[in-house]
Amino acid sequence: MANKRPSKALLSAGILVYLFLYIPLAVVVIFSFNDSKLNAEWVGFTWKWYEKLIHNDSILRAAGNSLIIAIISAAMATVLGTLAGLAIHRGRQKWLPALVLGPIAMPDILIGVSLLLMFILLNVSLGMVSIILAHVSFCIGFVALAVQSRLAGMDQSLIEAARDLGASPWQSFRLISLPLLMPGIIAGAMMAFTLSIDDFVITFFTAGVGSSTLPLEIYSMVKIAVTPEVNAVSTLLMLVTLTLITALSKISPTVLRQ
Amino acid sequence: MRYRLPGASTPATWFHKPVQTLINRAERLRNNLMALPPGLYLLLFFAAPSLMMLFASFRYPGEYGGLAPWYYVEDEQFSLDFTLENWLRLFESSIYLGLLFKSLGYALLTTLICTLMAYPLALMIARSNKRFRDLLLLLVILPFWSNFLVRIYAWMIIFSPQGALTIGLNHVTAALGIEPISLMFSSTAVITCLVYVHLPFMILPLYANLEKHDSRLLDAAQDLGANRFQCFWLITWPQSLPGIYAGAILVFIPSLGIFAIPDLLGGTNGIMIGNVIKQQFVESRDWPFGSVLSLVLTGITLLLVLLAAKLGRTAGTDNGK
Amino acid sequence: MKKLLCCFVLCLSQFALADKTLNLFNWNDYIAEETVARFEAQCGCKVVQDYFSATEEMMAKLLAGGGDYDVVIPTQNAVEALIKQGFLLPLDKTKLSNIGNTAAGYMNKAYDPGNVYSLPYAFTTTLVGYNENKIAELGIDPADWSIIFDPAVLAKIKGKVTVMDDAEELFGAALKYLGYSINDNNEKHLKEAQAVILKAKPYWAAFNSSSYIKELTVGNIWVAHGYSSDMFQARADAAEAGRDFSINFVLPKQGAVLALDNMVIPKKARDPELAHMFINFMMDPQNAAELTTIVGTGNPNAAATPFIDEDILKITAIFPTPELQAKLETVSARNAKERRLANKLWTEIKVR
Repeated sequence: MANKRPSKALLSAGILVYLFLYIPLAVVVIFSFNDSKLNAEWVGFTWKWYEKLIHNDSILRAAGNSLIIAIISAAMATVLGTLAGLAIHRGRQKWLPALVLGPIAMPDILIGVSLLLMFILLNVSLGMVSIILAHVSFCIGFVALAVQSRLAGMDQSLIEAARDLGASPWQSFRLISLPLLMPGIIAGAMMAFTLSIDDFVITFFTAGVGSSTLPLEIYSMVKIAVTPEVNAVSTLLMLVTLTLITALSKISPTVLRQ
Repeated sequence: MRYRLPGASTPATWFHKPVQTLINRAERLRNNLMALPPGLYLLLFFAAPSLMMLFASFRYPGEYGGLAPWYYVEDEQFSLDFTLENWLRLFESSIYLGLLFKSLGYALLTTLICTLMAYPLALMIARSNKRFRDLLLLLVILPFWSNFLVRIYAWMIIFSPQGALTIGLNHVTAALGIEPISLMFSSTAVITCLVYVHLPFMILPLYANLEKHDSRLLDAAQDLGANRFQCFWLITWPQSLPGIYAGAILVFIPSLGIFAIPDLLGGTNGIMIGNVIKQQFVESRDWPFGSVLSLVLTGITLLLVLLAAKLGRTAGTDNGK
Repeated sequence: MKKLLCCFVLCLSQFALADKTLNLFNWNDYIAEETVARFEAQCGCKVVQDYFSATEEMMAKLLAGGGDYDVVIPTQNAVEALIKQGFLLPLDKTKLSNIGNTAAGYMNKAYDPGNVYSLPYAFTTTLVGYNENKIAELGIDPADWSIIFDPAVLAKIKGKVTVMDDAEELFGAALKYLGYSINDNNEKHLKEAQAVILKAKPYWAAFNSSSYIKELTVGNIWVAHGYSSDMFQARADAAEAGRDFSINFVLPKQGAVLALDNMVIPKKARDPELAHMFINFMMDPQNAAELTTIVGTGNPNAAATPFIDEDILKITAIFPTPELQAKLETVSARNAKERRLANKLWTEIKVR
């Protein structure tokens, strides 16, 4: 559609939507420099909320928890999700797609409360382990989808050629399929990592003592002590993700398009 | 995918048959082995909890929370202790069903507004120069990378009664002589935020669809004398329906179950079904009733997914014609 | 890149696994930062706080397996319920040298005879905090529950009122407004209270138990139903921020809820030793006094009085006079059936 230029009306409507997307975030960033604890009107410029943040142990601890949880659950979900993607692609198990895609379709709250119910009834104490188990269960589907879409676009004749040339199934998988699948697996792993580090609802129900994550900490800050420290955390968080995305798009430009 | 014997393109049948069966069997085993770990994991951490929830919805709440035992032994007589009470409570008064409809209404309105806002943007991106498309798309995704709660918090600042927006609006209302309005703690606030949080879910599938349209169709229509509205309504719109269905399902379902937005912005009247479910689990300690509400929401979700799958399929075949 | 990431994770995990941690489950805004910092310095440990803003919320969290906090600060009725369930660790009095500081009047209460499991932390009343200038301007009597329940009064302050997101407190206030006892479990009376609440609900901005300190200070709301200690902080914050109005608070004349909050140690506590240290630390006169001078709570610690400002001791909403005390009631533990009824009525209020 390259030759069909957007009309002026379309262009201005589009710009309005962009403004709608960005103004709220700009407000958050601006107010992170506001020299007033009350966050109601602009008083003056300050760095003090960032300084306070650096010394805020509970935020740092929560960030650490978030990172550990995201790394472990992304790793687990990547292995399980890749297997699931391969199995779904071969299409032998009719029940598997429903099971893998179910957690994607369900509202988060349902996954959260049902896992809470089960953990308590089975006497699993809530904490990092329960959060990781929960995160893996909703991340598997996303990895499987990414892997499967990669498989769908893959040239099967390459594998057959390898097999014809005497490669064992394992060899053909390791030397041909796996490298070809890698972009899908990486995209899936990244997605799992972001979903896990960003999740609030499911963590809210499965977290226990001392396992508070960054989103939970932000929630309690927003709910209780609404100081510009929240804005500072948010701004830093945006900055971190922005850097990560830029870095990743430099490393592998195709990843973003997945 | 069938594996051929290495180096044997025309083997003798007496040799080929049993070996091929063996290989097939090995392959099936491998497939099963591959499906087993994720399958088991999800059976344990997705299917089992849902079943336990069903079980819980027929039990009594425990004295201090949790669940009461599901059986008791009295005079060496074993009896089950299940009840329909929790399900009946749902219909006891119309308020729960009313809340359900209200939540469905909120989610529907969110989906509609998202469609209205996403369409022009997606169309604009699809029609802009190829060089800029990736950048424009990235600009849609970027805000989405900030945490969900940060995005809600942004609206809490904007809607604050001391915020510039409210004060500005109330200058207008004062000039018009109407009562001052309050944006915070209203259903308007809830829906605005629901739209904000879910908008990218609508833009992306819609763009993916619009981008594939064949522009020659529009040229042909124009050549045949169609005006711009006709071009849009008769050609672009019907082709974009699958994209809208896909986006709608991605917006509707998550917004139905949300509790944080009404919690922080809804005030006394803006709550949704998710809040009541959360309340049963983390405040009232009434898990059986919480399970009932959750199962109702699960049912609605399943219905919607099936409906969307069906709609998507018919729309897809319509396009194929 | 990978190495950098590994280092980062290691650093952070060290944070997450700091060897000595006191996990404290407390009401929000219920301990001064200064006090926490001093305890951390003294014991060489970290204090990690989780917050709750309603007794029901705390009980739900504790009973949902979150029992491994080291110290919890429940209100008297919750202490009773937790004892009945065998949830608490008996206190080792030999480790609590400051125990004698607590005034005798707050010890050995019916909910925990002999203070086997609990020791008093602080007390608060639940009352009404208000924007003095606005309420005077509108000519509303703040010392009467009608300020949050009577539609005729509420019409003047529509959308500028928040009430607690807490069935116990809100029903308590409504029952008092109707002239009943806070512990009335008569279904008819509770339904009357529910009707009062439902009639007033359209005039309220929100159910809010956690951020009304800020909302009052900023001026977003004019009247808040909440704890005396929180209103004390709102008043101080507004004065400090130089707002063009002042916040005040007063006990309604129909009477109100008095909450005596206690320190307890769950059986599953990870570090009971440290928990005892914390409890003893909080009973030290100077530390206990900070609860009043900074947080604004009533203080059961007799030895702390000399460290408390004369002016605060005179605030009757924080330290009620004997005649006011006669109008205050403490909530007693409900049995399962009564609790279910109350929760059902509460859910109906939220849903409607």
